[in-house]
Amino acid sequence: MASVRTDPIPPPLLEPGTPQRTAAEDRLAVWSAGLAKSYGSTVALAGLDLQVAAGETVALLGPNGAGKTTTIGLLLGLLAPGRGQVRVYGRPPSQAVAAGLVGAMLQDAGLMPGVRVGELLAMVRGLYPRPLPLDELVGLADLGSLLRRRADRLSGGQAQRVRFAAAIAGDPLLLILDEPTAAMDVQARRNFWRQIHGFASQGRTVLFATHYLHEADDAADRVVVIAAGRKIADGPPAEIKADFGDQQVRFTLIQGSPELLDALDGVRAVEQDHSRVTLHSGDTDATVRSLISSGLRWSGLEVGGLDLETSFLRLLGDRT
Amino acid sequence: MTGFIALEMRRSLRDVRYLVIAVAMPIGLYLLFTGLYGARGQRAQGLPQPAELMIAMIAYGAMWAVFSATGPRIAHERAIGWTRHLRVTPLTPAAALSGKLLTALAAALPAMALVALTAVASHHVQLSAAQWLAMLAAMWAGVLPLALLGLAIGYFAADEIAFPLTMALYFALGALGGLWMPLSTMPLTMQDIGQALPSNSVAELGWRIAGGQASMPRAVLVLTAWTLGSGLSALFAYRRRAIRSAS
Repeated sequence: MASVRTDPIPPPLLEPGTPQRTAAEDRLAVWSAGLAKSYGSTVALAGLDLQVAAGETVALLGPNGAGKTTTIGLLLGLLAPGRGQVRVYGRPPSQAVAAGLVGAMLQDAGLMPGVRVGELLAMVRGLYPRPLPLDELVGLADLGSLLRRRADRLSGGQAQRVRFAAAIAGDPLLLILDEPTAAMDVQARRNFWRQIHGFASQGRTVLFATHYLHEADDAADRVVVIAAGRKIADGPPAEIKADFGDQQVRFTLIQGSPELLDALDGVRAVEQDHSRVTLHSGDTDATVRSLISSGLRWSGLEVGGLDLETSFLRLLGDRT
Repeated sequence: MTGFIALEMRRSLRDVRYLVIAVAMPIGLYLLFTGLYGARGQRAQGLPQPAELMIAMIAYGAMWAVFSATGPRIAHERAIGWTRHLRVTPLTPAAALSGKLLTALAAALPAMALVALTAVASHHVQLSAAQWLAMLAAMWAGVLPLALLGLAIGYFAADEIAFPLTMALYFALGALGGLWMPLSTMPLTMQDIGQALPSNSVAELGWRIAGGQASMPRAVLVLTAWTLGSGLSALFAYRRRAIRSAS
């Protein structure tokens, strides 16, 4: 697979307490080498090498049970690694969290009951050395009129905004999100990613787990694909999409030579059922463009893809 | 951390379960019992009835105050994931745990003070300033093992059973600990059990101080033992949850 990026040589491992750090290490928000974790005989993560540069937005993409939440638990110091090493801004994760460098939205993490949103956020801000100013926080998380509401009496979407606000209240350099949009509808999802972009555009690093390829594609600069506890791909979204989201262009061929179909841009395979043609493409935009200029006559154009689950299964099958 | 504790306390003062059970109920029971048993006459420790009952109800209210701020609340916060969110903030586990403990102890103070005020207002209970101070301070320190027990329940028990469990324990410790009826009216075995309970020992501290008896070795011994036992249980329960919480 041509698009899978091989990892650069990891930087020399820094022992905790070592005073000298190079600028390059400081710029790495996340660094892990051979990171592994098992629960009893179940291997959740089997040796992950991961690097996230400061300022990057990286998606951790994988099906359910791939090891995404375990990875995040290790990056936040909630779990101790079974093997391997992990550093966040050159420090052990728990130290990075204690220093207020990291903010996180965990899966199914709730809000403190019995208090108002404003009180809750004031308390959370107070835990960090350099919190975001309240008005900036209200703007970024679109809290508006929620500040006086009880934190345990919010709708799902409102609670999600408050959870996001609690995650960024300390103005963290690194924001970690575990399947943040799992319970959101389409509109809420769109708003949420707009907020994340607003936050990330200020030079912060964002690492999020998702099992939606299109979400990784839309929101991330880079996508790391993990499945069965292993990294299986790492690259820009367009490449990952080409590899994983086997996209298809379908139409009915009215006139023209089927031999021309193979030569269209991006086409990897051609299937034909009578006059109905299915092109498997690595880049459907390019395929459609060249189809239009091909001189072929066609109708009933459809563009679609395999779902990610199927792609993963296919890819895992290829690898084993 | 001060902000964390301040918010926890503010939350307690709005918690209806706390206000009704820890504050209103002991006051109501005090007025009921002094009415039933009569304001005159003596019970244990040779104290006048109103003073003796006041101390029993101070212990009773303080007990629910520390329970309500710990057991059910922590179990609920674990269930909804708030505990996990706090773990990815700079608030250290030690600060979170001690914050919970301090909040629980602080929640006991209004409950204790209001029963005392009710007793003074309704039955003119009189103690010297030094006795008031020593009594309230000793009883307040005495609820520490109960607060630790609440922490242990909060980290051990599931959300659905934490509240009924705490409630059952509260009634059992109240009744068996001689806070409703004097231990001296119970069979001897029950008296032995009662004297080994922290609820009875907290009240015993108050009764002895109010009665002018300085020596209270049994109560101190019982409370120390419960502090050690509950403290270790709380720590064990907390560590067990911390290790599993991110799975």
